[in-house]
Amino acid sequence: MSAHHAPQINPMLPPEKLKKGLALAALLGLGGLAATGAGYWMGEHEQFYGSWLLAFSFYTTIALGALFYVILHHLTRASWSTGLRRVAENLAANLPLMALAFLPIAFGLHTLYHWSHADAVAVDPFLKIKSPYLNETAFYIRAGVFFVVWTLMAFFYRRQSVAQDKTGAESHNFKMRKLAPISMILFALTLTFAAFDWLMSLDPHWFSTIFGLYVFSGSVVSFFAVLSLVALWFTSGKSELGLTIGNLHDSGKLMFGFIVFWTYIAFSQYFLIWYANIPEETIWYQVRLSNGWQNVSMLLMVGHFILPFFVLMSRHAKRNRLVLGLGAAWMLFMHVVDLYFVIMPTLHHHLHMHWLDLSSLVGLGGVFALFFLLRFRKVAAVPHQDPQFQASLEYDNA
Amino acid sequence: MAHNYDAETLFPPPLVDNDLSFGEVTEKICGIVEAPPNHKWLLALIPALTGLTILGGAIGWLIWEGTGIWGLNNPMGWGWAIVNFVFWVGIGHAGTLISAILFLFRQRWRTAINRFAEAMTIFAVICALIFPGIHVGRVWAAYWMLPLPNQMSMWPNFRSPLLWDVFAVSTYFTVSLMFWYVGLVPDMATLRDRAKSKIGFWIYGVLSLGWRGANRHWQNYERAYLLLAALATPLVLSVHTIVSFDFAVSLIPGWHTTIFPPYFVAGAIFSGFAMVLTLAIPARKIFGLEDFITVRHIENMTKIILVTGMMVGYAYAMEFFIAWYSGSEYESFAFVNRALGPFGWAYFIMVSCNVITPQIFWFKKMRTNMTVVFILSIFVNIGMWFERFVITMSLHRDFIPSSWDYYSPTIFDILTFIGSFGLFFTLFILFMKFLPAVAMAEVKGVLPQADPHWSGYHEEGHDD
Repeated sequence: MSAHHAPQINPMLPPEKLKKGLALAALLGLGGLAATGAGYWMGEHEQFYGSWLLAFSFYTTIALGALFYVILHHLTRASWSTGLRRVAENLAANLPLMALAFLPIAFGLHTLYHWSHADAVAVDPFLKIKSPYLNETAFYIRAGVFFVVWTLMAFFYRRQSVAQDKTGAESHNFKMRKLAPISMILFALTLTFAAFDWLMSLDPHWFSTIFGLYVFSGSVVSFFAVLSLVALWFTSGKSELGLTIGNLHDSGKLMFGFIVFWTYIAFSQYFLIWYANIPEETIWYQVRLSNGWQNVSMLLMVGHFILPFFVLMSRHAKRNRLVLGLGAAWMLFMHVVDLYFVIMPTLHHHLHMHWLDLSSLVGLGGVFALFFLLRFRKVAAVPHQDPQFQASLEYDNA
Repeated sequence: MAHNYDAETLFPPPLVDNDLSFGEVTEKICGIVEAPPNHKWLLALIPALTGLTILGGAIGWLIWEGTGIWGLNNPMGWGWAIVNFVFWVGIGHAGTLISAILFLFRQRWRTAINRFAEAMTIFAVICALIFPGIHVGRVWAAYWMLPLPNQMSMWPNFRSPLLWDVFAVSTYFTVSLMFWYVGLVPDMATLRDRAKSKIGFWIYGVLSLGWRGANRHWQNYERAYLLLAALATPLVLSVHTIVSFDFAVSLIPGWHTTIFPPYFVAGAIFSGFAMVLTLAIPARKIFGLEDFITVRHIENMTKIILVTGMMVGYAYAMEFFIAWYSGSEYESFAFVNRALGPFGWAYFIMVSCNVITPQIFWFKKMRTNMTVVFILSIFVNIGMWFERFVITMSLHRDFIPSSWDYYSPTIFDILTFIGSFGLFFTLFILFMKFLPAVAMAEVKGVLPQADPHWSGYHEEGHDD
């Protein structure tokens, strides 16, 4: 390979840009949380717990998607993904924050989860069978294990990567590669059972073996949407980070790929249940296809697949900043709709939107963004000392 | 000099060993085709042709006598035929994954193995198509599987996944064949230009479609290749997804579970890569392809086997967990019966070969030891055949205990299955001799010399 003359790179985010972002995040966070707190204080307890679960699941899945990206990068020994890796590392580092955000759910256990009522279990033979798994103690222990495992992984990869900013040593890459396979196994198992615990068990009678993959696929789509948006923001105006339209294109391509993957998984689940038509399984979709919820289901089909599939398919769309940005923002909205479709029908018989849904999403989102952005104050926005960094900027992306 | 694969490097080592030049690549690959058949090749062809003869005999007797010669009974309406069908279709998937998905992911190491992996796909699908074809009983009416207008207004059931299989597998076969052929065109032209005999010149000449290596030819070629890759990628998923629907749309406990589609796809890739290794390890030795199919290629494939093997293990675990979690006693029974019932031995083989033994690939020493990899690849082939067997055998204890039965294959089941290997290997051995086994044009594209900025050959005075 011949030597290229690398353009001058300033790996730090410009302070004015960061300041603006931090201010906006703090404002949204404080405003949203205040409104949400007010809602709780006004006595909307049930709605509060439901809305909070929605917001919690939304941001946790994004952070988990980021963790997946980091692990996958090292597992496959990729180099093209180096340029945007710091964004993913900083997003995944929000996972301990999500442990804090989990506390209201732990307090609201009895409101959200039917299986947590001893009297309900006593008269229900199915819940009795499941009680070795679905019981309060086991639920809390598992949640603790999930967050400990995620935090350890997120911190490990970020710490190694940040340390490399100073040393530039290859040994960091080798260390991260070495732990990638075991991390991926832990990731797959924890995400699956977290999906079972927090989302599938909302309807404790219903079951689906693919449900872990369903949550995973949505989580990765939403992560790539965030990654695209952050990368667009990073490269807006006069950017010296070195990131190119090729890096954005990569993020867009993977978002597109996982949109199709999500559809594949969602369709497989729906189709097999519809075809076999066994009441104990169809009930879950029956609820979601009546009393106004059918509109949410239709929106999901059109908005989470058909629309983005045709809009984002072309290379030009993914390399156009406006189209990619709108597409990514739309996919984030669709991820909210997806989780809304999973969570809310257990709370409301009829389709019913509440302002607490919005305030929780905004409030937790502000805090999430605040902690994410704070990590860029002293640390570079791109892993510029990674020996693969230059290659990832020059990657042939024709 | 061969690359030292023990040293850990950040960037991958070169894709072709021994710094071969363009000319040497052509010589090596074309040499296989142009040399007269040697003893080793003929010796390999004999058992393959024997197997093919056995297949012909077994199918002939089946058509004469009817499916009663197989071990099918009530409740076991599906036996080895479906097991073999799913087994062969699954094997095909690695070829398409290598040629299409790894192409889209820009995994350039695929160039050395894609040609014969695609050939393997096509031959495996041919083997697979035999089984549903002969299982219909009246083979002479097999074309009724297609929705052909007829005066009796008889149509296949459009709601049946078995009909979707007909469409899915035939589409898959057609697209795979086109993909394979498009890739072959430039290499056919090379063989045409080198041909010494008139017959060879004419055959390769017609097949190369007037390829002259012009700029415009290459542009069309690259575009067609990318489009076919994009078309073939959903096919990798759709074919085995629909195969999984054959089971999963039913009400049978152990068959009806939502994870079946991705689980079948992962299993298909798992088994396909095992078959690629089973073929590649002897082939690179016999035909001297070690510079192209390097240790790194083999190691990459073992890693894919390790990953997909764990995906399959994940699916086994989810099925078991949800069978219990569902609280459905039929589900729980089906799975306990699978592991501990009369077919528990088959379940044991399946788990040991698919989940436990591939764990050996955690160790680099094992991944780079050709003997170990070859033996392991056979294990995976066996395990994946047994996986389909275990799934099909869920039928043996259905909802009415009075109809419970055991399934034993007859000699004709066994001979048909062995015979299908004969067909597969006959086609493969002929392919190795008459077509370029490695995609020459593509391999040349990943040589360091292909880089416009390359500045090697200094000793020869080139300096650009």
